[in-house]
Amino acid sequence: MLEISSTPLVIIAILGTVGVLLPIISIARKEKGSNSFYAVIAFSALIVSIGYVAYQFISDKILPSALFSEDVLVDDAFGGFFAIAMLIVAIFTTVGSFNYMRKKNYPAVYYSLILLSTIGMVLIAYSTDLVMLFVAWELMSIPTYVLVGFMKKNPSSNEAALKYFLFGALSSAIIVYGISLSYGLTGSTNIGEVIHGYATLDSSLLPLALLSVGMFIAGFGFKMGLVPFHQWLPDTYEGSPPTITTLLSAGTKKAGFAATIRIIVLGMVVLNLDWTLALGVIAVMTMTIGNIAAIMQKNLARMLAYSSIAHAGYILIGLAVAPFSHLGLQGSLYQILNHAVMKGAAFIAVTGIVTTLAVTNIDKLKGLGRRMPITSLGLVISLFALAGVPPLAGFWSKIMLFGGALDAGSTIWWAPWLAIAGVLNSALSLAYYGWLTRKMYFEGETEKRVSEPKSIIAIMIFSIIFLVGFGVYPDPIIKFVQFAAPTLSLGIMP
Amino acid sequence: MATEMLGFTFEVGAASAWLIWILPFVAALIIPGIGKFSKHATGYVAVGFALMSALSAASLLPMALEAHEVHDQISWIHSISLKAGVLADPLSVIMANVVGWISFLIMIYSTGYMKGDKSITRFWFWMMFFIGSMQLIVLSDNLLQVFFGWEGVGLASYALISFWYRDKKKDHVGTEGRTVLGLLDYYSPTHAGMKAFIMTKVGDVMMIAGMLLIFLFAGTFGFRELLHDATWATTMSSQGLLVPAFILLFGGAVGKSAQFPLNEWLLEAMTGPTAVSALIHAATMVKAGVFLVMRLAPLVFALSAAGILADQFFEIILLVGATTALLLGLQGMVNSEIKKVLAYSTGSQIGYMMMVLGIAGLSQQFVNGYTAGFFHLISHAMFKASLFMAAGSLLHVVGSRFMTDMGGLRKNMKKTYAFMWAAGLGLMGAPFITTGFWSKDSIFGAIYTSGHPWAIPIFAIAVLTAVITAFYTTRMLGLVFFGSKSKHIQKMEEEGHHIHEAPLSMWVPYGILAVLTIAIGLIGLSFEGGLHELFTNYLEGTFGIHSVHEIENSILPGFLDGINPVALIASLSAFAVGTGLGYVFYIGRWADPVKFVNSNIFFSGIHKVILNRFYLNAIVYWCFVVAPLWLSRGVFRYFEKTAIEYGMNDGVQKAVGWSARVIQGTQTGVTQSYLFVFGAGLLFVVLILLI
Repeated sequence: MLEISSTPLVIIAILGTVGVLLPIISIARKEKGSNSFYAVIAFSALIVSIGYVAYQFISDKILPSALFSEDVLVDDAFGGFFAIAMLIVAIFTTVGSFNYMRKKNYPAVYYSLILLSTIGMVLIAYSTDLVMLFVAWELMSIPTYVLVGFMKKNPSSNEAALKYFLFGALSSAIIVYGISLSYGLTGSTNIGEVIHGYATLDSSLLPLALLSVGMFIAGFGFKMGLVPFHQWLPDTYEGSPPTITTLLSAGTKKAGFAATIRIIVLGMVVLNLDWTLALGVIAVMTMTIGNIAAIMQKNLARMLAYSSIAHAGYILIGLAVAPFSHLGLQGSLYQILNHAVMKGAAFIAVTGIVTTLAVTNIDKLKGLGRRMPITSLGLVISLFALAGVPPLAGFWSKIMLFGGALDAGSTIWWAPWLAIAGVLNSALSLAYYGWLTRKMYFEGETEKRVSEPKSIIAIMIFSIIFLVGFGVYPDPIIKFVQFAAPTLSLGIMP
Repeated sequence: MATEMLGFTFEVGAASAWLIWILPFVAALIIPGIGKFSKHATGYVAVGFALMSALSAASLLPMALEAHEVHDQISWIHSISLKAGVLADPLSVIMANVVGWISFLIMIYSTGYMKGDKSITRFWFWMMFFIGSMQLIVLSDNLLQVFFGWEGVGLASYALISFWYRDKKKDHVGTEGRTVLGLLDYYSPTHAGMKAFIMTKVGDVMMIAGMLLIFLFAGTFGFRELLHDATWATTMSSQGLLVPAFILLFGGAVGKSAQFPLNEWLLEAMTGPTAVSALIHAATMVKAGVFLVMRLAPLVFALSAAGILADQFFEIILLVGATTALLLGLQGMVNSEIKKVLAYSTGSQIGYMMMVLGIAGLSQQFVNGYTAGFFHLISHAMFKASLFMAAGSLLHVVGSRFMTDMGGLRKNMKKTYAFMWAAGLGLMGAPFITTGFWSKDSIFGAIYTSGHPWAIPIFAIAVLTAVITAFYTTRMLGLVFFGSKSKHIQKMEEEGHHIHEAPLSMWVPYGILAVLTIAIGLIGLSFEGGLHELFTNYLEGTFGIHSVHEIENSILPGFLDGINPVALIASLSAFAVGTGLGYVFYIGRWADPVKFVNSNIFFSGIHKVILNRFYLNAIVYWCFVVAPLWLSRGVFRYFEKTAIEYGMNDGVQKAVGWSARVIQGTQTGVTQSYLFVFGAGLLFVVLILLI
């Protein structure tokens, strides 16, 4: 049994209580406005949660990554790592909403939904049971459907929500189908026992087992934005409120990876290794199509959405080579944390631009460097970090991922090609990041500085310090990642 | 006591080695802050820090001349036991001095040249960043740190080449309206910056691939660590990966040093302020590639001495260098923009350095080629910085980048005239009095005596390039200073502009370098001798490369001891022929070059091909810019456009009666196709799994 003071339970308690109380408070207060009041409450709840996770880590109460557990949840370093990444994103979203939600309706519900969705994201990473994982998955998804359509008088927001919901429903159905298949084959929903059952499966049933893996890849792949399950993503990212896009791109997407690592990568090692090739192929398709499509975009949010697709491809490299190189999973986790901050910062910068200037068309961003210097600097640094330019944080995680792929080359012939594709794609991505930078700094002449929202400035400064600081001195993060990444080899059995 | 003393001196040496590259970065950090209070002060800060950095470099010289080295490391990323460090050996210390002092002079020059520019703070910031990154490359003790500096240099060059980002007409390069293979041969500063950034990036990607490959086998990036335990090389060599890894690393050098086939960015880089061009060509950026090769070459040669062969590495360097030297030299003969002529000349001279470094690795006597390459790097740094700065003065005064808009300036600008002659003589290789002569001669000697089967053809290319070099330098001087004044200048004088000498802060720096070209030239042979001895000790002590004892059978007079007679005759006649031809056409003006070229279709055809850069630039653009754009548009149109057209971009947002449209659009239109793709994707995944 889990202790009552274990991290997932405490996070459920804190965020759940606050999340449920917020709408009640707002009804009791009988007022509509006062966005910052609720924002501060949500923000404090998130800070307390992240503080608790950090405290658990510092006081060594967290176990090294456990692959499986008897319980439905396990309080291990892997879950803690994702909890920190998700909570950072949730904090970004909340702080970014300080200004964005001003003078908009129903702030209490808005923050409440963010908190509830955050619980879902965090729990996914802690789950060791398929049913628990699915419940957490829905807990994460349902609030985001509402949030995407939160601007209910805005047609694009509505369309985004509808598309997102339809796909979400479909992917949930597919996941449930996958779960039911695996339950039917093994008689259990505990991930450890499912794996054990698969290992001893009669060979005539193997195609069914593989079908369930395919279901999981497709179901989770929807959230991760993998090609060809990605088409909803640009529309949704562009249409939803930019703060929520931050949550989707930097948060829920990562939850998809957490689930994939828990089930597919950790679990299916025993099955056979065909899934690694499937992931490898998807990785290359994802990053290539994401980057090529991004080049042509004229809308900043849409460009970042495609770049986000491409990044899912990079992260997937690590998963694909995970059984053959310990660097693979470490690189993926590292890239996930970095991407949470980089993409989070980029979308929050978009929020800032939208709230102050109300434009997202890239041609209208001329001279942004003069109009909003700090936001622009934060945006440019996160873009270059995304491209993996040294000495920014993104450089190290990419090096680790590509290094992992090269390392795996001694076992499987195609792994180095993933690294080559990754390097070429990074170079390609510089084209549109550079183009955007040029628009912002080298074009336009007469723009005057406008005042930037303070909350946005705070996030920008935090991200700049994070990306540059951990770029120059990545040691602590690398240690953290090494601690959090489960070691995985072909010999592991439950 | 002695050890303590030794310990103390060691510490001081390490500290100044760190300071050489840290100081410019510190300056770059504080300059924006200072610029808030006084734009004027930023220049003094920059010059001051450049001087301090150069002095730190100078303080290491005595130690380096004894062939000692300082190697200081600190822990960088503990978890993968990566260390940051400085390595001050004779190679890096002398290079750091060349970079440091020439940058310092260029900074002084910039105070005059950039006076009154509105964005002066940005200028100083990037200049200091540039110098700092270059010194980081020079003093790094490992490849990864080199790569950090490498990217820094790339970034700074991008920012400085497109410094005048407003893309005014006068800041472009090329002739307006001229097309090659249907593409405009006319580039704006922002375009040029991007071009330099992306083209050098191609090299960078190769370099990082090579680096990681070596790291994978050796587990270290450190130069000394790689040398001390060579088991990694044995393993790599047995798998056939050693030479590819080194060639990939050399790819980085090809990009940065603008060697064939990544040479085309260098010409457009002329859109930057002239001080930037001087810095790029003499001290930073293009020299970085040569330096990287100089760092790696002894390592590779030492490996081959241990039985691990990597001759192809040197052969590639040799071929790339020779091709570039000839190709870019030829193009220098026909261009009419003074800075472009100098740029072509740089590419060509760097080709010389690469060529001789390649031949060094293929000959028994490694040290000859190595010294010759480094000597030429030093002398080229001096005269090319001087020529660029002087050209900047001309641009400043005349207000045009075309040499045809100059002419007859020798009376108006006496100092510039004299200094350009002195530095120009260095480039031409005027016998016995210039550094250029001695360094070129030692290159010829090294090639001729290498004993490699390709020695004679390569030697021929080198001599031919020397003839070309002498010719285009004479042409440049002739067009600018001789003949009658051009219409442009006559018009300026009619309008009341007085053509005058550049200000003191500008002519002093290039004057110093021009005088140095001659002064060191006068003692060139003993300078070379000293360098040769130093590197012999260095290569022997550090890499265990022993020099072969040479048999003296010189037929030359005593003061030319150690010179190969064939090389000497070749360099003398190359100078005579090239300068003579140049004199006939451009100084004496006994024949009209335009008429000469147009006299028959053969000459005019060659002229056109060379002027169109052998169509290399246009081909690069067609293959790597135009075609991918088509591809991207195609992918966009056929893969994503369907989604967008029916989707929300135009259709829904502008629609009236939004709700009906949204529901219609999402239910009957695109979402179905999305879902179809989703389903197909699922099928695809399952199929892959079942295969």
